[in-house]
Amino acid sequence: MALLESTAPSSAGTRLLAFVNNATVRAVFYQALTLSCVVLLFWYLISNTIENMSQRGMSAGFDFLGVSAGFGIGFTLIPYREGDTYLRVFMVGIANTMLVAVVAIVISTVLGLIVGLARLSNNWVIRNVARWYIEILRNTPLLLQIIAWYFGVFTLLPRPRESLGWLDAVFLNNRGLYLPAPLVGSGFAVALVALLLGIAGAVAWARYARREREQAGRIRPVLGPVLALLVVPPVLAALAVGSPLAWDMPQLRGFNFVGGINIPPSFCALIIALSIYTSCFIGENVRSGIQSVSRGQTEAARALGVPPGRTMRSIILPQALRVIIPPLISQYLNVTKNSSLAIAIGFPDLVSVWMHTSLNQSGRAIPIVAMTMGFYCVVSLAVSLAMNRYNRSILIKER
Amino acid sequence: MQMPNIRKTAALLAFAAATMGLSIEASAQATLAQVKARGSLNCQVGLPTPGFYALASDGTWSGMDVDMCRGVAAAIFDDPKKVQYQSVTSAVRFTSLANGESDMLSRTTTWTAVRDTQLGLEFAGVNFYDGQGFVVPKSSNIKSAKELNGATVCVLTGTTTELNLADYFRANNMTFKPVTNENVNVLVETYLGGGCDAYTNDKSGLAARRSAFPKPDEHIILPETISKEPLGPVVRHGDNNWGDIVRWVLFGMIEAEELGVSSANVTEMLKSSNPNIKRLLGVEGNVGEGMGLPKDFMVRVLKHVGNYAEVYERHVGAKTPVNIPRDGSLNALWTKGGILYPMPFR
Amino acid sequence: MDHAAGPAATPPPAEIFRPRPARRAPPSTLGVQGWIRQNMFSSVPNALVTVIGIWIVYAFFDALFGWAIGNAVWQAESRRECLDEVGRAGACWPGVIAWIPNLIYGLYPKDQVWRINLAGLVLLLWAVPLWLPRVQSKVQIGLSLVLLFPLFASYLFLGGEKGIVWSALIALGLAAFLWTLLTAATETVFGLGIARFAVAALGFASRSDETRRRLAIAVLLAVYVVAVILVQALSLPFVPTRVWGGLFLTLVISGIGIAFSLPAGIVLALGRRSRMPLISLLSTTFIELFRSVPLITILFMFNTMLPLFLPVGVEVNQLLRAIVAVCLFSAAYMAEVVRGGLQAIPRGQYEAASAMGLGFWQATGLVIMPQALKIMIPTIVGNFIGLFKDTTLVSIVGLFDLLSMSRAVGEDTRWLGLFLEPFFFVTMIYFVVCFGMSQYSLNLEQRLSAGERR
Repeated sequence: MALLESTAPSSAGTRLLAFVNNATVRAVFYQALTLSCVVLLFWYLISNTIENMSQRGMSAGFDFLGVSAGFGIGFTLIPYREGDTYLRVFMVGIANTMLVAVVAIVISTVLGLIVGLARLSNNWVIRNVARWYIEILRNTPLLLQIIAWYFGVFTLLPRPRESLGWLDAVFLNNRGLYLPAPLVGSGFAVALVALLLGIAGAVAWARYARREREQAGRIRPVLGPVLALLVVPPVLAALAVGSPLAWDMPQLRGFNFVGGINIPPSFCALIIALSIYTSCFIGENVRSGIQSVSRGQTEAARALGVPPGRTMRSIILPQALRVIIPPLISQYLNVTKNSSLAIAIGFPDLVSVWMHTSLNQSGRAIPIVAMTMGFYCVVSLAVSLAMNRYNRSILIKER
Repeated sequence: MQMPNIRKTAALLAFAAATMGLSIEASAQATLAQVKARGSLNCQVGLPTPGFYALASDGTWSGMDVDMCRGVAAAIFDDPKKVQYQSVTSAVRFTSLANGESDMLSRTTTWTAVRDTQLGLEFAGVNFYDGQGFVVPKSSNIKSAKELNGATVCVLTGTTTELNLADYFRANNMTFKPVTNENVNVLVETYLGGGCDAYTNDKSGLAARRSAFPKPDEHIILPETISKEPLGPVVRHGDNNWGDIVRWVLFGMIEAEELGVSSANVTEMLKSSNPNIKRLLGVEGNVGEGMGLPKDFMVRVLKHVGNYAEVYERHVGAKTPVNIPRDGSLNALWTKGGILYPMPFR
Repeated sequence: MDHAAGPAATPPPAEIFRPRPARRAPPSTLGVQGWIRQNMFSSVPNALVTVIGIWIVYAFFDALFGWAIGNAVWQAESRRECLDEVGRAGACWPGVIAWIPNLIYGLYPKDQVWRINLAGLVLLLWAVPLWLPRVQSKVQIGLSLVLLFPLFASYLFLGGEKGIVWSALIALGLAAFLWTLLTAATETVFGLGIARFAVAALGFASRSDETRRRLAIAVLLAVYVVAVILVQALSLPFVPTRVWGGLFLTLVISGIGIAFSLPAGIVLALGRRSRMPLISLLSTTFIELFRSVPLITILFMFNTMLPLFLPVGVEVNQLLRAIVAVCLFSAAYMAEVVRGGLQAIPRGQYEAASAMGLGFWQATGLVIMPQALKIMIPTIVGNFIGLFKDTTLVSIVGLFDLLSMSRAVGEDTRWLGLFLEPFFFVTMIYFVVCFGMSQYSLNLEQRLSAGERR
């Protein structure tokens, strides 16, 4: 192009070429072209959809949300009865999905850290167990793992009548884990206030200790006082005002344990599978993060006489975190998205209870699929935004 | 790699994709015309289920509902093989029909008011009267569904079964805990492993499933039938002629049983003097022509597929593993104490 | 520390030097025993962890082998026989064995299965030259494999009527395959591509460049003509995509997804980094939207809603819908991988490229992308593995992939209820394929970084 320009004889032609080659003009042109394509595409799709729906008598309205759903849900975090509306089902689905995501994230982070460190262990057995743990579990589809765990959990656990019990309060059988449920008693508010005060005190102490360390170089104990502040005030308050919580104990009555909290096997299987699967990826992140910290750091720390545990905690991990955290957050997003595979073992998460059961019973494909995708979009975009901001702040700055 | 090359290959690829995957058809025709133009019937069945739409290891489909598809194909093309079976999950069955992908749906679908009136569907009739029941282990000493208060029940999700279960327990002031799945085998495994106290499904399926348990004698089917499950073929709302075709093929098969016409004797019966048989087989009258089919469409159906009794015995009768006895059940002819009552063919 | 042992302060009365007894030799670090001691039992907690680790591994594999091999039934006519023999303590393999053809080829007509095998063989032969050290045209072979193999394979798989254009395209695929084989052969033996080799062999080596180029083109055309004739001779019956299934379908979906996702991902990543705000916005929106929802919802949407988006009467077959969904989803993921790779290229490279007078496309194609792609290889392979695993989800929208096929086994009247065995079998297939890919990627990573080790 540049060659053409210099040899073009006519000035009008040159001007035209200059105009065509102008970066701004081109940018505007390309963008206008793309925009019109996108707009046309959307217009085409939407007009088709409207025509199709009117022709086939399908309705896209959200009016069905107020209709009674009429089916039972096996595990609900928020109260639900068979006669409740579809909107309630949506809420139940969201609550269950969030619960799975949060629990799985916590467990997978801990497991991932352990596996990542085990991968770097001096012990040959541990190193290799960790390696094969990662290799095997990372390379099998999660859907299959979830089903495998579901049956695994099942065959290992006894039937309700032969439940494993602990202190007559906690029971484990193949219908799930039964825990005592706390019931709010008279002094609950007082204990709650004490707990909040304790938390505030713990945070304040942690900040104080940090300021002392950073500014005066004095090391204050952190863990002990914080734990004490968290535990002592609520317990004291509880003792002072009498029992703030009553416990609803699970009891074997008829077919099942009644009362307490029941965690069904599908939930356990889902959590185990999700946590273990994700922990493989997190483990690899942790390993590569730690390996990215130059060896000299460890050696320097040892030369200064820093004990190995403290080297890891105060020197290696903080530097490794910069590498670990961005992929870690996308793993967290994956956990949220992967929880949708719960459908395979019938755990009532959003996809299973909403996009599958409700869609089937009500037949309203468009609003239901749109609402499901909308929920995942909102969650992911919120996390994504935070993550990109963080990513920008830790990028190595050039010039 | 130079730019023109990229563009050229891109254009070629786009073209290839267009020729490969998209099959564009003339728009907005009546279903019958579309089916004839295509040369085959798109008949939707469910994921393989014994007795109704079973898939054998050689890849062939068979079953009561499959025979419904074959019957309609035989009526149109005189060839029961001109069917393309679409096996989809129950989650997408109605959308697949509504969006025009399937011509008809023949997959143990319960006729309910909401489905009929709000989902753009049209039920063409009932080819099997089913009802929901429970299987429990014998060792539990349960004799009646009324004793299931507080039980954990394994139930297939996304079907009317799930709704009936909830209704039944609510109606009897009992509570239950559902364990749901969309895969029957997962549910059965769960039930066998003690994960639930009872397994519920349409009774047509319970006997077959029980026969595949490790020890079938240790499980019993409870006497209660907790729901009405009229199962039948479904078509899209709005194309009445197409609905008529499916409906009268079904009625024709039942009528043929009532009149004693079967695949074995259909050619002799053409000479029958019985006016009812004459009308059924198109020797008299023009039932078929009114729907855009030849007069003798029922001869085709009966020749290739057989009458209702033949279909029933072939797939779910006493000699099959599914083993659903017919005598005295709802699925017997109205003349034999059942409620199968074909509308008169005239 | 030895010197501190002797009290040096008070001069001892002439005492005879008495050597302290030698310390015990440190445990050997050589040999099997030494290695075990050092790596497994170096301390008490370490030993404990070792024992527990070994016990867990043993218990797991013992149970697994007991079920899958020890107590398993290998010959039976129906599941009933298996159950009568061992109950649920052992696996019942005959059902899986009877279904293996379906698990691999789906419901593809059994007398046409050779077409799939042939396509597999062609793919293998096409790819082998990429690993032969003496072959020089690896880039061309690789590109032709990705771009033209699908043309040829799609005809093998689909069959049916082929118009003029379609025939020409299939012939193009076949010609590229022939060219690859010939070139690989001549380059391995003579170090020359087929066209140049033919020119030389025919005795035109001394002619002018222009003549030789024309002759080389003529040779390529001749290959194409041969391909056209072969394609004309080949007439295959039509096999609808509905009967595609099993491992074959899984490979088709993931293969197309993989082939599509990389170029599309590159375009999207460039779009996201573009200085044109609108393009950047659109790319970012696309990427974030597709990345933020689970694949299962995208599949669901495409499956149930695409027919609504298109004009009345236009049918897009179910397989294509799933493929489009998988492609768009994986493209969005790949775009983020590519963006990561691009971020890692120092800005100096861009500046140097534009200082050399390279335009955007030249700088990207010749300078930036090659470097970025090299960094990204492990992540890209990781994404491919993810994509392959994700294809299990198409079973949920009712395609008969490997997983749905394994479900169908348990619904066969003869093998009713057979669920765990086919499931186990499928898991093994997935594991073998994914593990193979991940090991290859590790290997590749090591070879690529070899040059950078100092």
